[in-house]
Amino acid sequence: MLKILIPTTMLILATWLTPPKWLWPSSLLNSLLIALTSLLWLKNASETGWTFLNPYLATDPLSTPLLILSCWLLPLMILASQNHTSHEPINRQRMYITLLASLQFFLILAFSATEMIMFYVMFEATLIPTLILITRWGNQAERLNAGTYFLFYTLAGSLPLLIALLLLQNSNGSLSLLMLPHLGQLELTSYADKIWWAGCILAFLVKMPLYGVHLWLPKAHVEAPIAGSMVLAAVLLKLGGYGMMRILVTLDPLTKELSYPFIVLALWGVIMTGSICMRQTDLKSLIAYSSVSHMGLVVGGILIQTPWGFTGALILMIAHGLTSSALFCLANTSYERTHSRTMLLARGMQMILPLMAAWWFIASLANLALPPLPNLMGELMIITSLFNWSPWTIGLTGLGTLITAGYSLYMFLMTQRGPAPSHLLALEPSHTREHLLIALHLLPLILIITKPELIWGWTA
Amino acid sequence: MLSRVTQLRPSLSKLLFYPPSRFVSNTKSSGAAASSVVPELHHAAKPVEHGEVSPYVKNPDYHGFSSDPVVDEWNMRIAFFFGISVALVIGGTFIHYLPDHGMRQWARREAERLILQREKAGLPLIEENYYDPNTILQPTAEES
Repeated sequence: MLKILIPTTMLILATWLTPPKWLWPSSLLNSLLIALTSLLWLKNASETGWTFLNPYLATDPLSTPLLILSCWLLPLMILASQNHTSHEPINRQRMYITLLASLQFFLILAFSATEMIMFYVMFEATLIPTLILITRWGNQAERLNAGTYFLFYTLAGSLPLLIALLLLQNSNGSLSLLMLPHLGQLELTSYADKIWWAGCILAFLVKMPLYGVHLWLPKAHVEAPIAGSMVLAAVLLKLGGYGMMRILVTLDPLTKELSYPFIVLALWGVIMTGSICMRQTDLKSLIAYSSVSHMGLVVGGILIQTPWGFTGALILMIAHGLTSSALFCLANTSYERTHSRTMLLARGMQMILPLMAAWWFIASLANLALPPLPNLMGELMIITSLFNWSPWTIGLTGLGTLITAGYSLYMFLMTQRGPAPSHLLALEPSHTREHLLIALHLLPLILIITKPELIWGWTA
Repeated sequence: MLSRVTQLRPSLSKLLFYPPSRFVSNTKSSGAAASSVVPELHHAAKPVEHGEVSPYVKNPDYHGFSSDPVVDEWNMRIAFFFGISVALVIGGTFIHYLPDHGMRQWARREAERLILQREKAGLPLIEENYYDPNTILQPTAEES
């Protein structure tokens, strides 16, 4: 654990001590080496599940993929923000990298915590750097509004969780994740226990986000700078899914009955947010709503509580993390050239930036879950386990995947195909940096499917 | 060949000789009349760069990393070497050679080997009495 946490802390120090000229190269190098080292977590020699165990932190097959994803995202965020922050004063650039590195620090602590309260504290701590990123580096005045939504939705959702966790500690004597699965079923019978159940799960459902409490997400995504959008879509949403998988173990007898409305809401959300995507004019908003739609499937898969559901949810979370982050990067490359997120104003980009169009094509296909990619594997496992639970869900999930394919193609055709509008004349050619950035998203995605047991979770 | 090198000398010396950034006269001014020409002691402020100025004018090999050509190129090299060669290739190799967790791959290989062996020998894939029936304690008719 410390072999990642100490270099991450040192990265913050290095950010402030490096000469301005070499600030970005050195932080990129540093973060890439941290990402490489993080792969050591995959070496799971024990048969007990938990590895790299110390009194506070540990990893298990569920948290390892998410930990590595958060370590991999930092160099990508640095690569992505290099262009738009380079005109700012040097101290602000240093502050920007510091925020990104501290976010990684908190995320690692959150994913590897062995105590629910430690997880809770780190879960909340990630709000602070993200909020500063959105409200300080966003592009428009609406970012303040988006920051308010982001902060208060997630805070209001997670305060009941704190109370619920304290209650659990009081009755149980322990919140250790190593202990919770072995404590046996709690006697949850009263009406108050049902409210306690809701308190435990609500914070994560808001963070996922579940359809109905998702309004903060499109706002935050649209207003955040590119690194903020990337980390939100790739890792922060997954905190919700991860937390839910962890807490569900203790909620056992209640979830079976109480999760019905939430599964229904999640699946209905897949269709609704997918339909919203079909009507979007704003590119970043479209990608944000597509995240909500995919996360709806993940919520469904988790609440079903079968091994296939959990595995599918984890696979889809990892795959969606890389895919949506890549889509946000692509949206940002066209935003940096046209200074607009409106898809109508940036049509026919294939004629201007042909190689970028190839990346758009692959990323869109990944988003609609093309066969060899892990996106499909995750979706199929979730859909199968939902179908096994109730055959009627196939209508909702099937329609959902159809709409997903629809809006992914709509996004691709709208931005890339057709004649280029006449106002787009002197666009900069695509940079080496941007191609590398997208390649570093999509190559791991393609590579993962050659060894999918890395992201299978508990069953591996 | 050597003569060609000597021909380059004047241009080389021009390249190697860096003039100071500005020349300021050290002689005392007479003070009788202020010179109307103010020597330029400060450089004019650099024009603020913005997106519309193409970086390719200054650096035709612009990679999108930095406006300084040297930093730009080195940043590109670092990103490619440590992103692709180190993280993906070495990291991928590490993942490929990870120990076989739970001996699942071994179990699969062993199963395939056994199937081939038993098919060749004409045996059923699995014995009908995989466990010796004598070792299984079944409840008697009265007990069950």
